[in-house]
Amino acid sequence: MFDNVLSTMIFLPIVIGLAVMLIPFGSNAARRIGLAASLLVLLLGVRAYFSFTGSGQLEFAETRNLIETLGIAYRLGVDGISFFVLLTGAVLIPIVFVVVRDRPRAFYGNLLITAGAMAGAIAACDLVLFYIFWEIMLIPIFFMIGLYGGPDRRAATIKIMLYTVSGSLLMLASIIYLGAAFHAHFGVWSFETIALTGLDLSGRTATLAFFGFMLAFAIKIPIFPLHTWLPDAYTEAPAAATFLLSAIMAKIGIYAVIRFIMPVFGPELVHYAVPLAWAAVIGLIYCGIAAIGQKDMKRLLAFSSASHMGVLALGLFCLNIQALTGSIFQIMAHATSTGLLFLLIGMIEDRLQTREIADLGGIARQAPIFAFFFAVALLASVGLPGTSGFIGEFLIILGAIKFDTTIGIFAATTLIIGVCYMLWMFQRVFFEKGNDRTAGFTDLSAAETLAFLPVIVLILLMGVFPQPFIARIEPAAQNHIATVQATGRTSGQIALDHTLQQH
Amino acid sequence: MIHDYLSLSILLFCLGVLGVISRRNVFTVFMSIELMLNAANLAFIALARLHESMDGHVLALLVMAVAAAEAALALAVVILLHKHTGKVDTNVFSLLKG
Amino acid sequence: MANTTTYLGLIPLLPLVGAAVIGFLHLGTCKGERLPERFYGLLACTAPILTFLLAVKVFFDLRGLPVETRFLSQEVFTWFKVGEMDIAMGFLADPLSSLMLLFVTFTGSLIHIYSIGYMAKDESFAKFFAYLNLFLGSMLILVLGNGPVVMFVGWEGVGLCSYLLISYYSEDRSNVLAGNKAFIVNRIGDFGFVLGMAFLFWAIGSGGFDYISLKANAHMLPEATVILVCLLLFLGATGKSAQIPLYVWLPDAMAGPTPVSALIHAATMVTAGVYMVARFSFLYAHVAAVGVFIAWVGIITALVSAIYGMYQDDIKKVLAYSTVSQLGYMFAGVGLAAYSAGIFHVFTHAFFKALLFLGAGSVIYAMHHEQNIWKMGGLRSKLPLTYKTMLIGSLALAGCPPFSGFFSKDEILYSALASGHTGIWLVGVLVAGMTAYYTFRMIFVVFHGSPRDAHAFDHAHEPPAVMTVPLVILAIGALFAGFLNLPALFGGSQQVTHWLAPSLAEHAHEAAHSTEIIAIAASVAAFFVGILIAWRKFGQGAEEPVFRGFASFAYHTFRVNEFYDVILVRPYKAIGGAIANFIDANITDIPAQVIAWFYRQAGSLFKLLQVGYVRAYAIYMIVGLSVMSLLLAQSFK
Repeated sequence: MFDNVLSTMIFLPIVIGLAVMLIPFGSNAARRIGLAASLLVLLLGVRAYFSFTGSGQLEFAETRNLIETLGIAYRLGVDGISFFVLLTGAVLIPIVFVVVRDRPRAFYGNLLITAGAMAGAIAACDLVLFYIFWEIMLIPIFFMIGLYGGPDRRAATIKIMLYTVSGSLLMLASIIYLGAAFHAHFGVWSFETIALTGLDLSGRTATLAFFGFMLAFAIKIPIFPLHTWLPDAYTEAPAAATFLLSAIMAKIGIYAVIRFIMPVFGPELVHYAVPLAWAAVIGLIYCGIAAIGQKDMKRLLAFSSASHMGVLALGLFCLNIQALTGSIFQIMAHATSTGLLFLLIGMIEDRLQTREIADLGGIARQAPIFAFFFAVALLASVGLPGTSGFIGEFLIILGAIKFDTTIGIFAATTLIIGVCYMLWMFQRVFFEKGNDRTAGFTDLSAAETLAFLPVIVLILLMGVFPQPFIARIEPAAQNHIATVQATGRTSGQIALDHTLQQH
Repeated sequence: MIHDYLSLSILLFCLGVLGVISRRNVFTVFMSIELMLNAANLAFIALARLHESMDGHVLALLVMAVAAAEAALALAVVILLHKHTGKVDTNVFSLLKG
Repeated sequence: MANTTTYLGLIPLLPLVGAAVIGFLHLGTCKGERLPERFYGLLACTAPILTFLLAVKVFFDLRGLPVETRFLSQEVFTWFKVGEMDIAMGFLADPLSSLMLLFVTFTGSLIHIYSIGYMAKDESFAKFFAYLNLFLGSMLILVLGNGPVVMFVGWEGVGLCSYLLISYYSEDRSNVLAGNKAFIVNRIGDFGFVLGMAFLFWAIGSGGFDYISLKANAHMLPEATVILVCLLLFLGATGKSAQIPLYVWLPDAMAGPTPVSALIHAATMVTAGVYMVARFSFLYAHVAAVGVFIAWVGIITALVSAIYGMYQDDIKKVLAYSTVSQLGYMFAGVGLAAYSAGIFHVFTHAFFKALLFLGAGSVIYAMHHEQNIWKMGGLRSKLPLTYKTMLIGSLALAGCPPFSGFFSKDEILYSALASGHTGIWLVGVLVAGMTAYYTFRMIFVVFHGSPRDAHAFDHAHEPPAVMTVPLVILAIGALFAGFLNLPALFGGSQQVTHWLAPSLAEHAHEAAHSTEIIAIAASVAAFFVGILIAWRKFGQGAEEPVFRGFASFAYHTFRVNEFYDVILVRPYKAIGGAIANFIDANITDIPAQVIAWFYRQAGSLFKLLQVGYVRAYAIYMIVGLSVMSLLLAQSFK
C-alpha cells in the first residue's frame, strides 16, 4: 500500500466514494465509512510526511504509460509545495465527516470523490493527467451544489460550471499546444511537466497559451474580476462543499500557477506580473469592501475568502522568495482558518436554520467553546501575529513592497479591511444580546470539539513555530524563482520577440 | 452474382431507412430497423460466401442474437410507452424538443 | 556570550501560560459547576508576581554589566527564515526595556490583585483574568522583543486583548462597538507599522532585523528612507498611543471594566507608541524635522484633549482625555529627542494614572456603577482612603511639586524650551494649567461639597482591602517616583536618564540654569492658576452646568467622531453596500454574463436542430454516417 502512496491517497477515496454511492448504506454508516477512509488517507499522509525529505525534487514518484504514442502517462510525484497542499487537504477532510451529519449517502460519496480528485490534481505530474483530475474534481461539486444547495442553487451551479469549464477549455487548448510544441521541438510527444520546462517558448502563441492556463487558474483562485461565481457558489453550496471549494479547490488554483505556469511560462509571467498583481490587489480591496455590505454570514465570508485569495495571488506575481514562500505558507494557513470558519457557519445554519447576521446574536454566551474556536479562526484570518495567518500575510506584503511599492502599500490595506467586516460580523453574531432563536444554540459536543481541536492547535502552532514548515517549502520555492529567472528573458526581450515575429 | 445480393441488401437497407424516417407508427419503425439489420445480414452472408470464410457467418449470427435481444427490450419499452400514453405514434414522444 | 540569558523568554511565557491554563479551565467548566473565584484569583496573580520578580532580577543583572555592553538577550528559536529575512523569536533586555519591564509588571501585578476585588461575583470572572494574563504576556513581548517583528507580535497582541476587554460586557452593543473601534483604529496604525517595517527591512534588514543590528547599520540608510520609515512607524504609534488623528478610540475604550482602563488604557499599552519611538531613537534622532513634527502632533493632541477633559461629566472620560493629553506630552518629549524625559513621564504616569483609575474604580464600585460626577459629591467622608490616594494621584497628574508628575512633565517642558521650541513650550505650559483645572474639577465635584444623590451617598462604602492596598502602594509610587530622576538643580543626579542613556540616541539640550528655573516657575504658576480656578468654580459644591456654544462643542469633543463617521465610516459602508448590492452583480459580473450570453446564443442556434422527433435524429445519424463513409472512402483512394 505504501509503495504507491500517492495512488492510494487518490483512489482510495474515489473507490470508496463510488461504493458508498452504489451500495445502499444508511446515512450514518456512509458518514462513518467516509470518516474511516479520510482518516486512512490522513494516516498515509502522516506516514509519508516522515519519509519526505524535502529535497526540492519529486518524491514518491510513480509512472505508468497510458497512451504511449502521445506520451501521455500516469505520472505522480510531490515536492515541498505540492506535498503540503496535499497534507492540508488530508488533515482537513476528516473533520467534515465528523461535523456534517444527516446527509444522504450520495453526499458523502461525492465528498470522497472530490477529495480523491483533488489529491490527484495536486500530485499529477503530467498535464493531461492533471487536466483529467482537474475536471473530475468539478463533477461531485456540481452535484453537491446542484442537489444539496440552498434555494438559488441552480443559478449558482450553472454559473460556477460555465465559468470553470470555459477556463478549463482554454487550458486544454493550451495543454495541446504545449504538447505539440514539444513534439515540434524534440520529435516526440510528452506532457510531463518537468520535460516541458525545457521548452523554449516565445512569441504570440506562447503568450496565448500562457493566458489559456492563467485564465483557467485565475477563475479557480479567483482573481478579480473573474470572482463573480464565487459568492453565489459559496453561499448556495452546502457547508461541506463550500469548505472543499474554499479550503482546497481555490488553493489548487494557486498551486497550479506555481507548478505549471512558473516553470514553463517564466518570461510571460515576468512580462505580465505587474498587471496581474494589480488585478490581485484590486480584488483584495474590492472583495474586502464588498464583504461589509453583506447580510448573510456565509456570503460575507465568501467575499472575505475572495479578498484573501487576492493576497495569495499577489504573492505569486511578486516573483520573489519572500512573497512566494508566503503564498505557499498562506495556502495552508488560509485553508485551515477559512475552512474552519465555513464549517462553523455551517453548524450555525444547521442548528438555527439561518445565516442572516441580523437574526443572530449572543452566541458567545450560549456556546463559549464554539465562540472560542470561531474567534481563533477569525483572528488567523485577519492575520494576527501568533496565528498562522500572520506569517504568510506579512511575507507577502514584504515581498510586494519589494516588487512594487505602490502595490505593496495597497496590499497592506488588507490589515485594515479584514478587521472591519470580521469584527462587525463577530459583534452581531457572537456578542450583543441573544434572541429566542439563539437561546437554543447548543455548544460543540465532545466529538466535535475533538475534531476541531487539531486544526485550532495547527493554527496556533503554525503561527508560533512556522519554521519547520517554511524550511520544507523554501527550497522548492527557491527552485521556482530560479527557474523563472533563468528562463526569464527580460520583458524587453519579449517585446523584441514580438516585433521579430511580426517581420 | 455477388452484385445482385449486395444490390438487394442495399435496397432492403434503404427501405429500412425510409421506413424509420417516414413512418410514425412505432411498430413500423421497429420493423424497419429489423429490415436494416437483415439487410446487413444478407450482405454479411453474401460476402462470406464470396471470400469463403466463416467470419461473415459468425457476424450474421451475432446480429441475429442482438436483434432478438433488442426486440425483447424494445417491445417492452413500446408496451410501457403505450401504457403511459395510450399511443404508438412517434410524433407524440418529442420530449427532447429544444 | 556573557549577555545571553536563558530566563528572558520566561517573562512573557509565564503570563501566556497562565492565560492558557485559566482559559482552558474556564472553557472546561463553563457548562458545569465553576471553580471558586479565590482559586482563579490566586492563579491569575501568580504569573504577574513571578514576572515582577524576574524583572527585578533583570534589573540587577543589567546593573552588574558594564555600561558599554549593558544588555541581556536570548534567542529562543528561529521564528521564520525566508531568503535574506531571518527572524528569531528573541528577547532583549537593555536599560530601556528593563525600566518598562519593571513598571509594567509592577502595576500589572497590583491591578491583578485589585481586580480580584473589583470583579468579584462577575459571572465570567475566570475569562477576565485569562484576558488580563494574555494582555500582560503580550505587553511583555512588546517590551522585550529583540526586533520590530517580535515587537509587532506584542503590539497586535495587546490590541487584541484591549478589544476583548473593552467589549467584555458584550451584551451591550455600545461596548462592543467601542471594542471594534479600538481594534480597527489600531489596525490603521498597524498598517503604518507594517509598512514601516517593510521599508526598513528592504533598506538594511538583510544585515539582521533586530535592534542591535539595525542600530549598527542605521548609518547606511538614505535620509529619505529614514523619514519615510519614521513617519510610518509614527502612524503606528498614533494608533496605539491615541494621538491625533487616531485618538478617538481611547475615550470609547472606557467601556471596559475599570481595572482594564487602568492597566491597558492608562499605564501600559497606550504608552507603547512612546516606547517604540524611543526604541527607534537611533532612527528618529537622525531626522530632527520628523521629531519636531511628532512633538507638534503630541502637544496639539495634549491641548485638544485637555480642552475635552475640562467639560466631561463621566469620571472615566475625564481620566481618559487626561491620558491622551499626557501621552501628547510624552510624544512632545520624544519628538524633541528628549527620549529619557518622555520615557520618564511614561514611568511616572503609569503610577499616578493607574492610581487615579483604580481610585475612580473604587468610587464607581462604591456608587454602584455610577460614573457621572454630577451624581456624586461629598464622598470625602465616606471614602477617606480613596480620597487621600486619589488626591496624591491628582497632585502628581497636575504637576504639583514635589509629586512625581511634576518632575517628569517639567523635564519635557524644559527640553522644549532649551531646544528653542518656544511655541511647544508655551502650549505645554497652557496645557499644564488646564490639567490642574480639570483634575481638581473632578476631585472637588466628586469628593467635596455636599452629596448630590443622597441615596447613593448613604450606601457608599470603602471597598475591601484587596482593592485599597494596591491604591496605597501606587500612591507611594506616585509620590516618590519623581525623585528617581531628580535634576541637578534640586541636588539630584538624574539617575533614570543616566540609566537609560545606553539605549537611547539622545541629544542632551544644555541650557543655563536660569532657563530651567523659568520653565519650573512657569509650570508651577500654571498649576496654581489651574487649581485656583477649579476651586473658585467647584470648591464649595456646584450644580451641573448647562453647556452652550464652545463649551457644548468641546463637550461633544469637537464632533470629531461625527466627522469621521461622515467622511470615513458611512462612505465605506455605502461603498460596501453598493458593491455588494449593485456593482458586483451588474458591472463586475459582465465577463460572466458575456460568456453566458455566448453559450446561450450557441445553444439557441443548436436548439433549432433539436426538433424532438426520433426520425429527425435518425436522419442526422444517416447524414453523418454517410459523410463519414464518403470521407473514409476518399482516404482509401
